[in-house]
Parts: sequence; structure tokens; C-alpha cells
Amino acid sequence: MMIFQCEDSVDGIFTGVYDAWDSRIGHEAVALRIREKMDLELFAKYREVETDTQKAAKVARSVRSKMGQDAYRVIYQAALSANPEKADSIYRVIVRGMSANVTQYEAQNVIWNLQSRDVCRVFELSRKVGNEAHRYFQFVRFRELDSGVLFSEIQAENQVLPLIGEHFSDRFPNENFMIYDNGHNDCLIHGKQRPWFILRDTCPDEAAKDQLAAREEEMQELWKGFCKSISVEARENRGLQRQFWPLKFRRWMTEG
Amino acid sequence: MEIAKDMDLYQKLEILSDAAKYDVACTSSGIDRKGSGKGMGNCTAAGICHSFSADGRCIALLKILFTNECVFDCKYCVNRSSNDVERAAFTPEEVCRLTIEFYRRNYIEGLFLSSGILKSPSYTMELLYQTLYKLRYEYHFEGYIHVKAIPGAPQELIEKTGFLADRMSVNLELPTAESLRRLAPHKTRKKILAPMRQVQLSRKEHKNELMLFKNAPQFVPAGQSTQMIIGATPENDYQILSVAESLYQKFELKRVFYSAFVQVNQDAELPALPGGPPLLREHRLYQADWLLRFYGFGAGELLSEKRPNFNVFLDPKCDWALSHLEQFPVEINRADYYTLLRVPGIGPKSAQRIVKARRMGSLDFTDLKRAGVVLKRAVYFITCNGRQMYPLKVEEDFILRNLMYSQSRTPAETVTYRQLSLFDDDRMFGEVPQQLLQAGV
Repeated sequence: MMIFQCEDSVDGIFTGVYDAWDSRIGHEAVALRIREKMDLELFAKYREVETDTQKAAKVARSVRSKMGQDAYRVIYQAALSANPEKADSIYRVIVRGMSANVTQYEAQNVIWNLQSRDVCRVFELSRKVGNEAHRYFQFVRFRELDSGVLFSEIQAENQVLPLIGEHFSDRFPNENFMIYDNGHNDCLIHGKQRPWFILRDTCPDEAAKDQLAAREEEMQELWKGFCKSISVEARENRGLQRQFWPLKFRRWMTEG
Repeated sequence: MEIAKDMDLYQKLEILSDAAKYDVACTSSGIDRKGSGKGMGNCTAAGICHSFSADGRCIALLKILFTNECVFDCKYCVNRSSNDVERAAFTPEEVCRLTIEFYRRNYIEGLFLSSGILKSPSYTMELLYQTLYKLRYEYHFEGYIHVKAIPGAPQELIEKTGFLADRMSVNLELPTAESLRRLAPHKTRKKILAPMRQVQLSRKEHKNELMLFKNAPQFVPAGQSTQMIIGATPENDYQILSVAESLYQKFELKRVFYSAFVQVNQDAELPALPGGPPLLREHRLYQADWLLRFYGFGAGELLSEKRPNFNVFLDPKCDWALSHLEQFPVEINRADYYTLLRVPGIGPKSAQRIVKARRMGSLDFTDLKRAGVVLKRAVYFITCNGRQMYPLKVEEDFILRNLMYSQSRTPAETVTYRQLSLFDDDRMFGEVPQQLLQAGV
């Protein structure tokens, strides 16, 4: 068994897929693992995968054109998951879709073949990541710093920043904002009328992120008051509230 | 009643959100709109809930009344003119500022603006229009706006407001005209339905225009909704559901909301509810509402004159399936989409996944679990390749017993048989609860 160790990123995994396929060892005799998130195995040889954006782009392009945009989206989202088994499952799914003897129609439907263990895992991981990203559409809270920048801190399980960047920059084209994911130490940055981007392994200045704008506290008070007065006492149901709004999100939220 | 002049924004927000909280609709769904890149905001069709209040309801919109001053005296309403509550009113400027500041912090998805009737319906509608105009054209807000159409306001005003809002709603208040006369003496069914019809017709008209001109303005693009109070008047579930069904069909509403009656006023005309608001009833109505909109059920299938109320113990879909056992079991690998939808435990999403997945090969029970089917309910009604998951009887009593007593378990983990005995009689196990008998079990 030859094990390809790749970086924990979409590009890393796609490069791994490229290298594993390109090695011509045979699909059964190779496996993909995420570096630093794996147990060493006996009787296996290891090969390091050097992340290469060009190879990754090639894989992404062929997946898109043969397996379709839907499948690409599912695979891409799964690659952002925190689950270390994602790499190998993604490899198996791509192999199934891209094999020479698979017709276009079959390739487009591979992602719906939930009977297969690997497809199912990719599908589930993708759904989890997508759901978490949606949670952050809901629960990201910005505070205005005295520099006028809107700042938000989150602690995500999966790498959700690439999935929420589009939404927030479309929503706030005229704002300078920053979302800091302290779980992965990544920053999503958007400048007024500029495209958004992600800085990996960067954390914002500790002192700057607590210097609030003049009216910020007033707004926070107004919002907290609103959340309290909008509730109907006769219907109080904390369990239901917790079900929709888990405690782990509240730590980073204004009203939490 | 005088409106206090020197109130600060915090107090106003507290009073006017408190007064708006009995309005149920807080959805921000129904329209997908990208930002123009110039202003602020966009909309997603699925809607986004930003927070959840202590009663478990979502907070998606800044839900406020423009003013809680009201000339009407509806008996169920906190803001009725004869109530002695603190009154306040926003200015359009204040509403805009609050909306924008909350929105850019990602607290909310947009604005829900309703109002008590200040002076007259047309005066109030004019104020709402001014606020929306300011928000759209001076503050360049492109997020979601839900506004109330005030019955009795002039048509032109409602029309003009409709071009600025995403969703409009007129509250039906109570399910029948008779109840309305009793509890809301200033309102009539005719007056309420008039603006509803107007919004419906205008939407149609402007949809046709959009087909011709790409940039024609959109009129209430996310559709209209309404709400009814449940439990304040003696209507049964069948009547309520039939009203909802005809609203969906004849008025093309996007949503009908049901609000369990909360006792805020003491009035001889209102029922006393010692057990609190009828929340279970409301819940059953919502379940049935979903069956109407997404599952292709009709009100007449779920309830009838003879059985006018929902089963307390079972959800409407299980209840329907139990009384139509001749249509089960359904073969997962062959049944069409609409038949699958009728199986308890299978929803639109899992039904779609089943239909797509079986193109690639036959499905097994483990695959169904992966597709998101709720097996603890579905097992009684399905077969995979002609086999049931466990040997189960397709028999009403048996299924009912299991559905009710093993809420969270599949039958493999519970006892699926009963030892026969000489004294095989239900009375051996104690009294049958009164509610069970009423539910017709």
C-alpha cells in the first residue's frame, strides 16, 4: 500500500488525487491521508504530496466538466470538512466518476449513488459542512471597531470561511469587514468594493479588536433589549431555543 | 392617550417590539436577490434566522410596530384602544437607522413593519410607505422587507408600497366572518379580503410585465401571507384547515400562519385558557399546513366533518397513513415520487434522494437511513425489494401501539409481539386514558 500524505486544504487534497492517480500504482494499492491527522500504518509506504495549485486546478476542471457542477460542489464542500477520512473518500468518488469506462450520464449521477460507502461519506460530510456554513450565515455577529471595520470572531468546526465569503461580500459591498475563525486561525477579509480573500494562519491584532466604535455599545444594548422583549412569556420554551441555537455558538455572539 | 414625546430609542424599541411580538410571521424567505453592489443587502430564498428568542421562535426580521397607538378595539389584541398600555411611535428616520445598523452587524435579515391604526388606515399606510421609501431610496437598503397592508387604506397607497416591499400580508385574524364580528367589531371579512385580492391581482399583472421588460419593477416578489388566531373562537381544525386551503388556492398565498391564542386581555367574549395557549393544536395545524403545501394532500383527506379535529397523539401524516392502510406497504424501489411522499418518515428531500439513488442500483434499508428517511416511522409502511425490515404486521392497532410507545426506537429494539394469554384484554393493563378514547383510537 502506498499512502499519499497531503495538506489539509482543498488544493492539497486535489493535488493528492492527481499524484495518486498519476503514480500508476493502481487505485486499490493507494490511499490518501491528511498529514498530521492520521495514524501511521504498518506495511505501508508513504509519499509526501507537495501542494501544487496547477495540478489541483486540473483536477477541479475535469471533475466539473465530467461529473458536473453539482458533484463538484459536493466534493469541494466535503474537502473542507474536519473529518480526516475525507481525502480517501473523495479520491474514490473521483476515481469512480472519471474512469474511462464510465459514460457521461453515469458520471453525472455518481454523486447520488448513496449505496456506495465512499459516495455516502462524501455526501454526508458535504452536508455537514454546508449546514455549518449556513449556521454562520445566521450567527456571525459583527461589531464595529473604531477604525470603522466590522469585525467578527467565530469558532468553526470545519473550514467554513470559503463558503460564507461570497454571501457576506455580496451583502455588504461597501463595508470593510473581517471574520476571524479562531479554530483554524484563518481570516476572511473584505475591503470596500474589493473582492474577498482568506489569509491562512493569521490572527488579528488583539488590542485592535477590542477598540469599539463610539455607538457600538448603544447598538448592542438595543439589540439585546429587542431579543428580550420579542419573546412571548406564555410560550417560553428554552429547550426549543437551544435546539435551534446551540450553546457553542452563543459564546461568540452579541446576545448569546 | 398621549404619546410620550421624550422617550429614548431604547424605550421605544422595547415598547414597540413588545407590541409586535404576537405577530407570528418572521420568515425572510421566498426570494433570491443578489446585491446590486451599490447599496447594502441581499436576499436568499430559503431565508435565514439570525437568532432565537426564549420561546424558541426565530428572530429573522426586526419585528416592530410603527406605533402601538390604535383606534380599533379588537378584544384579543394588547393594543386595543381601551387598554391602558404605554404608547409610543417611531419616526421613519428612527426605523431606518435601526434597520441599517442592525443589518450591517448581521443581527437581522430585514424589517418587518406593522402598525396600529393611527388616526385612520390611510394615514397609517402613508407613514409605512414613507418609511419604506426612505429605507430603499435614501439608505439604499436591499434586504428583506415585510410590511402589513392595512385594510381600509386606499388602493394606490397599497400598490405603491408593494413595489418597495418583498412580502405583504393582511391578517385574517380569525377563521370565520362570524368570529371576526364578535371579537373585532371594527373589522369585517370583506375589508380584510379586499387588499388581499388586490395584492394577488397586482402580482399577476406585474409578473406578465416582467416577461416583457427585464427591468420592470417587482411587485411583492416574495408573495403574501396571512395569519389566524387559533383557540380564541370555537372553530374546529377542519374549518381552519379548509380556510387555509382555500386561501392557498384562491388567493395564491405563500404562507398561512397560525397563532395559538395568548390571553393578554380579560374579556367576557374570550375563552379562559387555564392550560396556557393551545400550542399542540397550533403544532398539528402547521404539520397539516406543510402536508397541504409540499406533500400534495388536501384538507378533506386529513380531516372531515365527522372527524373534525386532529389526533392528539399522532401527527397528521401518520394518522392519515393508519386510516389508509390499503395503500401500504409501498415498495421503495418502484413507487413513484408522489407515492413515496405519502409514507410517514419520508419527506421531499429524502424522496428526491431515493428517486435519484435508485437509478444506480436497488436500495436497501441501510441506504434509506443514509438518505435521511426516518425509519422508526417508515418501517411499518415500506418494503425494499419486497421485504420488510422486520416481520411486521400491517395492522392498525399494532402500528399505532408501536408508533406511540416507541417514539424514539425502531421495532427491533422494542417488543413487536404480545404474548397471548387467556385474559387477553386491554382492561388488564389499566384504564384506557380518556384522551385516547376521544381521539378515536
